[in-house]
Amino acid sequence: MDSIFDLKNKNIIVTGASSGIGRQCAITFSQLGANVILIARNKERLKDTFDKLEKGNHLIISQDITEYDKLEQIIKYSVEKIGRISGFVYSAGIEMTLPLRSMQPSYYEKMFSINVITGFELAKIISKTKYINKDWASFVFISSVMGILGQPGKIAYCSSKGALISGIKAMALELAKKNIRVNCILPGVVETEMSNEMFQRLSEESKKEIIDMHPLGLGKPEDIADACAFLLSNASRWITGTNLIVDGGYSAR
Amino acid sequence: MKKKEFVDELKDALEIEDEDQEITLETNLKELEEYDSLSVLSIIAMIDKNFGKQIPSSDFVKVTTVSSLMELIGKEHFD
Repeated sequence: MDSIFDLKNKNIIVTGASSGIGRQCAITFSQLGANVILIARNKERLKDTFDKLEKGNHLIISQDITEYDKLEQIIKYSVEKIGRISGFVYSAGIEMTLPLRSMQPSYYEKMFSINVITGFELAKIISKTKYINKDWASFVFISSVMGILGQPGKIAYCSSKGALISGIKAMALELAKKNIRVNCILPGVVETEMSNEMFQRLSEESKKEIIDMHPLGLGKPEDIADACAFLLSNASRWITGTNLIVDGGYSAR
Repeated sequence: MKKKEFVDELKDALEIEDEDQEITLETNLKELEEYDSLSVLSIIAMIDKNFGKQIPSSDFVKVTTVSSLMELIGKEHFD
């Protein structure tokens, strides 16, 4: 029996699909009946993710999405192979922990390029009339609670995640007339390779502090993927231009 | 890199702006107020920038004096 929460017959693009939140998103969406187009750089890890998907009309694209001139052709290819796009999850992103005194302009530029600009460029292309599902589409950008909270050593990361939060509001207003909804998810610390690497660079004390600030403990990729699935489903029909905080209570303090 | 230059870079990374605060090769970094986990990240960035070496923060457990830090980087880098 169909449910308003499933993703049957939806063609969904997921970036950062080779690991962490992106990978779990792809898996969860396939379990809910979606056709998933997985994009990431690492071909082997993409194939690993692909092998874990439920049956469906799925596609792998191995591509460095910061090569802006290649983006149109990968979206065109996706639509030709799978069909018009009903969903897009931007889960590619990098982390950086470095105090202000050590920051350089090029570090901010790299962070913004991957965490923000590439996402917006992809949204620009996917939202074109020739690629998008005219009746129904939903974009979800994975931001972070660090987009609304601060932490020492995280100026570049916080500002890039904050940029997504405000950017999607403008995008939501602009794309509403095309029936495209645009929202952000703000995860707390989720157990992924990226957060594990970050933890390794911190002292045991700092690590414990961060874990203790999550009343419900650290998150799992499934927690974020489930929230994404809701925002891509018909159940969130009337939700656009907003942030969904999924952080185990971290920001409630 | 000259040892004096390195000490100056280190003082920058630690944000020690007081010129009178003396840092020598025997200074124990762990006893400095400014030496915290964020400073370690600054030092790692400084080492990468000046020597092209990426030292993981876990290696800093072994660091005590400025001299021991220079050993971690490799004494051959200093004149």
